[in-house]
Amino acid sequence: MNTCCETLSPQEQRIQEEIKGIFNYEGRERIYKILNSFKNERPVIDIERARYFTESFKQTEGQPLVLRWAKALKHIAENITVYIDDNQLIAGRVGCQGRYGILYPELDGDFLDLALKDLPSRVESPFNISQADADLVIDQVGPYWKGKTFHEDLAASLPEDTLKLTYDPKDPLRSRFIVNETASFRSSIQWVHDFEKVLKRGFKGLREEAVEKLNSLDPLSPLANVKKRPFLEAIIILCDAVVLWAKRHSALAAEMAKKESDPVRKKELETMAAICAWVPENPARTFHEAVQSQWFTQMFSRLEQKTGTVVSNGRMDQYFYPYYQKDKQEGRLTDEQATELIELMWVGMAQFIDLYISPTGGAFNEGYAHWEAVTVGGQTRTGLDATNELTYIFLRSKREFPLNYPDLAARIHSRSPERYLYEVAETIKEGSGFPKLINDEEVIPLHLSKGATFEEIYDYAVSGCSESRMPNRDTYTSGCAYINFAAALEMVLYNGRMQIYGDEQISVPTGDPRKFKTWEEFWNAFITQQTNFIKHAFIQQALIIELRARHFAAPLGSALHDLCMKNMIDLHQPVIEGGINLGYFEYIGYGTVIDSLAAIRKLVFEEKKLTMDQLLKALEANFEGHEAIRQMLMNSPCYGNSDMYADSIAKGIDKAALEFTKTYAKELGVHLDLRYVPFTSHVPFGKVVSATPNGRKAWTPLADGASASHGADVNGPTAILLSNFNSKNYDYRERAARLLNIKLSPRCVAGEEGTAKLVSFIRTWCDLKLWHIQFNIINKETLLAAQREPEKYRGLLVRVAGYSAYFVDLSPDLQNDIIARTEHAYV
Amino acid sequence: MGHEKRSDDKHGFVFNIQRYSLHDGPGIRTIVFLKGCPLRCQWCSNPESQKVSPEVALNSRKCIGTKECGFCARECRDGAIIEKDDGQIRIDRNACSECFRCVDACPSKAMTLFGRLMSVDEVLRNVEADGIFYGRSGGGMTLSGGEPLMQPGFARELLKEARRRRINTSLETCGFVDWKVLEAACFHLDTILFDIKSMDPVKHKAFTGVTNELILDNFERLCREFPNLSKRVRTPVVPGFNDTMEEIGAIVDFIKGRPNIEYEMLAYHRYGQPKYEYLDRVYTLSDVHLDDGRMSELRGMAKERLGKLALENEPTEPRVRMEAPCATCGS
Repeated sequence: MNTCCETLSPQEQRIQEEIKGIFNYEGRERIYKILNSFKNERPVIDIERARYFTESFKQTEGQPLVLRWAKALKHIAENITVYIDDNQLIAGRVGCQGRYGILYPELDGDFLDLALKDLPSRVESPFNISQADADLVIDQVGPYWKGKTFHEDLAASLPEDTLKLTYDPKDPLRSRFIVNETASFRSSIQWVHDFEKVLKRGFKGLREEAVEKLNSLDPLSPLANVKKRPFLEAIIILCDAVVLWAKRHSALAAEMAKKESDPVRKKELETMAAICAWVPENPARTFHEAVQSQWFTQMFSRLEQKTGTVVSNGRMDQYFYPYYQKDKQEGRLTDEQATELIELMWVGMAQFIDLYISPTGGAFNEGYAHWEAVTVGGQTRTGLDATNELTYIFLRSKREFPLNYPDLAARIHSRSPERYLYEVAETIKEGSGFPKLINDEEVIPLHLSKGATFEEIYDYAVSGCSESRMPNRDTYTSGCAYINFAAALEMVLYNGRMQIYGDEQISVPTGDPRKFKTWEEFWNAFITQQTNFIKHAFIQQALIIELRARHFAAPLGSALHDLCMKNMIDLHQPVIEGGINLGYFEYIGYGTVIDSLAAIRKLVFEEKKLTMDQLLKALEANFEGHEAIRQMLMNSPCYGNSDMYADSIAKGIDKAALEFTKTYAKELGVHLDLRYVPFTSHVPFGKVVSATPNGRKAWTPLADGASASHGADVNGPTAILLSNFNSKNYDYRERAARLLNIKLSPRCVAGEEGTAKLVSFIRTWCDLKLWHIQFNIINKETLLAAQREPEKYRGLLVRVAGYSAYFVDLSPDLQNDIIARTEHAYV
Repeated sequence: MGHEKRSDDKHGFVFNIQRYSLHDGPGIRTIVFLKGCPLRCQWCSNPESQKVSPEVALNSRKCIGTKECGFCARECRDGAIIEKDDGQIRIDRNACSECFRCVDACPSKAMTLFGRLMSVDEVLRNVEADGIFYGRSGGGMTLSGGEPLMQPGFARELLKEARRRRINTSLETCGFVDWKVLEAACFHLDTILFDIKSMDPVKHKAFTGVTNELILDNFERLCREFPNLSKRVRTPVVPGFNDTMEEIGAIVDFIKGRPNIEYEMLAYHRYGQPKYEYLDRVYTLSDVHLDDGRMSELRGMAKERLGKLALENEPTEPRVRMEAPCATCGS
C-alpha cells in the first residue's frame, strides 16, 4: 500500500505502540496510575444514593417537595460512604471505587426490579450489580416508588392518540421510538450551574442569603408561608448538606494522613484535609481550592438528580483563571501542577457513569455517555476575546492525555485568534474527536432574538451535546421529544401505518400514495404526517411541564440560580419570572427523509422512471429482488452535496416544522425550538423503520443529526457545510442546535499545511453561521481492526454524537454506523 | 447530444470537477479536470483523461448484473452491450456508436461518462459554489487533466473568467504545449504547477511517448518571461524510470536558482489501475514497486540541494512537500 494512505493520527500511532507494549506515562505517572486502576472494567451499580433518598422520602410524605428533596440530600450526605482514592489529590465521589453508576428510583422505581435483571446482559452499555444490592433495591427501594413515579403518571395522562405514538399501549415501558418523550429517563435536560458563584461566595454565602431572605419574609403573607418559606428552608438544608459531606471527606483525609507512612502522601492527605475543611463552604483562595470546590459542587449535583448527560462544567478557563493567575504570580503553582489538577478531575469524571435504567435511555446514550462539557474560548461578558493561558492548558491536556472526559467544547467566533484556532485544529488532529466546536456567530444573535441580554449570551456555556446555557437566565428543564420523522415518511407510504406495527392505525390516514397524481400531493401528505407528529410531541410537552412540577425539585440547582433565589421558587417549577424557557423538539432522520423525498419527486413524479406501486413493492420486499430500483433511489440527488434539488426539500421540511412551533409554542409559555441532535437515537429509531425510498434497508440506522445519510455525501466536506447552510431558515428564530459530524482521514490534515487548511475550513464554518461541528480523524481500517480485535483497541476513542466514547464500548450497530459515515479523504 | 459538439473557446470537455482539493495549489481548491493529453505516460493514473472526446467507463464492481437489471442492454441500439456468462456485461467498443444511452439508463452508476461538454459559465458556477472557502484559505480553481492546454481556448477562457470573478487560479501542466498557448494561459494565472519528469530525452520518449525538449524550453522561457509567477515544479517518482539520484538530481540542478520555485516529489502509486479496466485498456506498468527508503533518500537529497534556494525565495522553512498523491483520496 502506498504510504500516503497510511498516515496515522496521533491516537492511532499511540494505540499501535501500546499494542507493541510501548507506553509513555512520562510526567503523568500519577494520572495513569489512577486511570489504569479502573480502565476497561465493567461499571458497577452503587445503590447507596437510591437507598438513602428513598429512606428519607418515606419519612417526609406530605411535606413540600423542595423541602423533601433537600432533606433527602442531607440524609444522603450524612450516610453515604465517603472515599479518598489512592493517588488522588481531589476528593469526592458519589459511589464505590472504580467505574460506577447510581440509581434514581424517583424516575424509574416502577421497573427497577425488571431492569436490574437485564442490565448485566444488555448489549448497549451493560452494568454489574451484586446480588445483595439488587435484593435490597428490589425489596426496599422499588416497592416504595411503584405507583409514584413520573413515568407512570405521564403514561396514564397521555391521550390515546398521543400514547400510540409514544409507548406500546399495552406496555408503557416500551417506547415506540416514534414520538419519543425523554422526560421520564432524566429529571432535567442538560444543564450548567453557575460554578463561579460557589467559588466566590461559598455555600456559606449562599446560606446567608437564604437566611436573610427568610428573615425578611412577610410573616402575614400566605404565599410566603406556603411557597417561599419551604423553599428557603430547603436551600439552607441543602447548603448544610453539601458542607457536611465535604467535611466528612476532610475528616477521612486527616484520619488517613495519620496512618500514612509515606511522608509525601501524608503531606498530600493533610493538604486535602485542610482544603476540604475550607471549601466549598468558604470562597476559594487558591487554584487547588477552586478545583476542589467546583468538584464537590459538580459531584453533589449528581446526588440531587439525574440531569440528562450530567451537569456540564461551564467555562472552566474563565472562572478558574483568577485563581490560576494569582497562584502563578505568587509562585504557588506551575503549569504542570495546574495540568495535573485538572487531569485529576478528568480521571474522576471518567469513573462516574451516567447509568440509564430504561431500555430507551440506554439506547439513546450508548457508550456510557455523559457529555460533561467543559467550555473553552469564546468571548467575555463584554464581548472581547476570552482566550487565556488556561484555555491553552486545557487544549494541550486534551492532546497529550486524550481521555473520553471531559467533553471539551471550544467556542469559536469571527475574531478568534489564530493561535487558538491552530491549537484547536492540532487538538482535533489528535484524532479522539475533541474538541467539538460551537459557533458564537450563530448562538449569540439567536439568543438575543429570544430575549437574552448581550452580557448573558456572550457568557454562555456549552451544555450537553451541542446546546448552550446561560446559567442565571435559562429556566427550562423539561426533557423534550425526539421525533422519528423517517417514521412519518413511512406513515405516508402506508397510509398512517408502519410495517413493524402491522395493521394498527398509528398516525392519521393520508390516503393511498398510489393514487397521488402529483409531487405536491405527496409532499402535502408528508407535511401532514410530520405536523401530526409535532402536534403530539407538543401535547406530550404540555403534560410533561405540568406533571414534572409535582415530581421533581432541585434545591442545589435553585441555590445556584439568580432567578430562583430572587423569586424563591424551585428551578423545576414551570413559571419563573424573568427566565427564558428554551425547550426544543428533535428532528431525527433528517438526511433519510430528504433523500427519500428527493428520490420520489425525481423518479416517480418528474422522470416517471418508477411507479409508486413499483416503489412500494420494492420497499415492502426490503429491496430483495429489486436491486435496480434500490440503485436508482440511491443515485438520486442527496442532501450533503450542496445540490439545491435535495437542499430545497431540506429547507422546506425545516420550515414547516418551524412554522408549527412559531404558532403553538407560545401556548405552552416556552420556546420549543427545532433541533437536530440525535444522541445515539438514530440507531434505535432506525430499528423501527422499514426500508425507505433513499435505498436504506429496513431496520438500519437513520442519518444522524444534520449530517448526510451514510455514504450519500460524495462531494466532500465543503459541500456538507453548504448543504447545511442551504437548508437552514435563517429568518426564523425558532431554530436551535444542529449537530454535524465530519469524518476525515488523518492524511487529510497531515502536516503544517493540513493544519492551516483545517483552520481555514473552521473559519468558513464560522462564517456560514452553522451551530456545531465535530470531527473524527481516523482511518476506516483502524475501526475495522478494532471490531476484529477489540481487546487491542480498548483505548480507541471516536466521536459519536455530541461526545466521544470508547469504540469497543459501543454496540455493533452503532459501530457499523460510525464506520459507514463517509470518510472524506480529500483534505 | 452534447458529445457531438466540439471544444471551442466557450465550451470544452470536462471529466471531473473535484471540490475540496488541498494539494494542487494554495488553500482549499476546486479542480477542474479537462480531457485530452499529448503524453502517454506509462504510469498515468488518469487514463480517462487521455482522449479529448468523451468515453464510457464500466465499473463491474458497481454493476448489479443482467438478472437484476440489464437496463443498458435494452437501451443500446448497437448491440454493443454483451452479456457474459456470469450475468455481468461488457462493452463491445468496436460496435459502440457512443450514443451513451446506456450511461443514462444505468441505475447503479456502474457506467459513467468521462467527458461532458460544459460551457465556461457552467464550470465557473460549479467552481464558485465553494467560493466562501477560497476567501478564508487563499484557495481557488485549479485546471488539471489530462493536459488542460489541449483545449487551449477553453482553458484560457476559464482562467480569464475565473480571474474576472476574483477566483485565484492555478494550472497543472505537463509543459508539452505550444509556447503561445502556455503564454496566453500564464497571463491569467496565480500559480503554475509544472511537471518535469526526466532530463533524459530518450528515456522521456520511451516512458511518455514524447521527448522533453519542448517541455524544458517552455520551462526556461516561463522562468524568463514570468519571473514573478509562483511555480511549483513536480516530479512523479516512478520506479525504473526516474527513481535514481542521477535522475532527480539532474532535475533539481536544472530548476535550482530559478525565481519563485517550489519543488515537490510525488511518489508513484497505482491507484489509477482500476480505471484501465473500466475503459478496457491495459495497464503496462503493473509490476513495479517504489521503495520507501529510496524515496526518502531522494527527498533528502532534493531538500539539501534546494534548501538554500528555497530560503532565498521564502523567509521561513523550505517548503519541499514530499507527500505522495493518492488516487484513493485523490490528493
